[in-house]
Amino acid sequence: MLNAVVIILMISGFLLFFATTVGLLRFPDFYTRVHAAGKGDTLSTALLLAGLIIYYLQDFSGEALLTAVKLSLIVFFVFLASPTATHAIIDAGYEAKVPYWTKRKPSGEAEPYDGAERRREDRQI
Amino acid sequence: MKRLTLVILAICAVIMLAAAVDLPDWADPASPASTHLSPDFLEQGYGETATPNIVTVVLADYRSYDTMFEAVVVFAAALIVLVVLRHTPRKRRKMLQHRPVREGRDTVLRGAAQLIIPVMQIFALYVVGHGHYSPGGGFQGGVIFGASFILLALCYNLKFTIERFREQAVLVCVAGGVLLYAGVGAVCLAMGWNFLGYAGLAGILGVGEVMARSHGILAVEVGVGITVFSVMMSLYYDLASGGDLDEGL
Repeated sequence: MLNAVVIILMISGFLLFFATTVGLLRFPDFYTRVHAAGKGDTLSTALLLAGLIIYYLQDFSGEALLTAVKLSLIVFFVFLASPTATHAIIDAGYEAKVPYWTKRKPSGEAEPYDGAERRREDRQI
Repeated sequence: MKRLTLVILAICAVIMLAAAVDLPDWADPASPASTHLSPDFLEQGYGETATPNIVTVVLADYRSYDTMFEAVVVFAAALIVLVVLRHTPRKRRKMLQHRPVREGRDTVLRGAAQLIIPVMQIFALYVVGHGHYSPGGGFQGGVIFGASFILLALCYNLKFTIERFREQAVLVCVAGGVLLYAGVGAVCLAMGWNFLGYAGLAGILGVGEVMARSHGILAVEVGVGITVFSVMMSLYYDLASGGDLDEGL
């Protein structure tokens, strides 16, 4: 019974990792790529390690509990650090005026993206 | 001048290649190191030093000189960066720096840093202290400890970190770690043993010679850790601000 839960968690983790990789490779610009990496990576790591924790705790012992606590600490710190790092990278890209992808065809010359201008608009909204 | 350097390098290369011919093959089980040294270390390491982690024993006891001068190399790196960057003309430094106005947009980073940094520092101390029993030791623990301060400087800013850990204090730590290492060796010498022969600490610590070697290993690991963490901070302070130590990143 618990094995089924473990398998489901692991498979969903692997699927999310796959989606993360595809997103990282196939999304059109910097922001969407980092977005894919940051979100999918965190959740799939958490899912995989949750599966491992349940797997370890099946035959309960002090040693298994120690391993489970260590794994959950990894989950906690990945959950904390990965989105923060993604946030910092996106912020740095925004500050450095990395151009963003848009579906509209640029009319004539593509206008360079102005991070500072853009931010001022955001503030007013 | 450049050509002379090249000639010297070529001569050194030829000498080293000639010497390499006589070396035993990679992972040759019949080489002297594998037939004499390794079995000796593995069989007698625990009995002589009461330290289960044989890597730590070799690093900090049997080859203590080597590790001491590794720490000196790290120390020299920090000094050289100081010497080079302190005298750069100002104009060139300004080009390096892109300093966006942050306007309180670091809330997320600061919150995460507040959660992570204390855990990192405790873990770094654990890595140093647990080097006898598990992978770890002075270099690794020192790097984690230094990284926690660099994280602080990245998430807040350089000024904030320098106010809390002044450069003078960092440099005292840089020299102090190496001094602690060499000091342990000198104490051993004064007690009538070889330099870095930790058994000489037995009389001072009031333990047997075997345990004295274990404690000696810990002492020099702490010295290495202090040097490594403060060198990382010193390098970051200088490189992030182009040697100015005012602002930057």
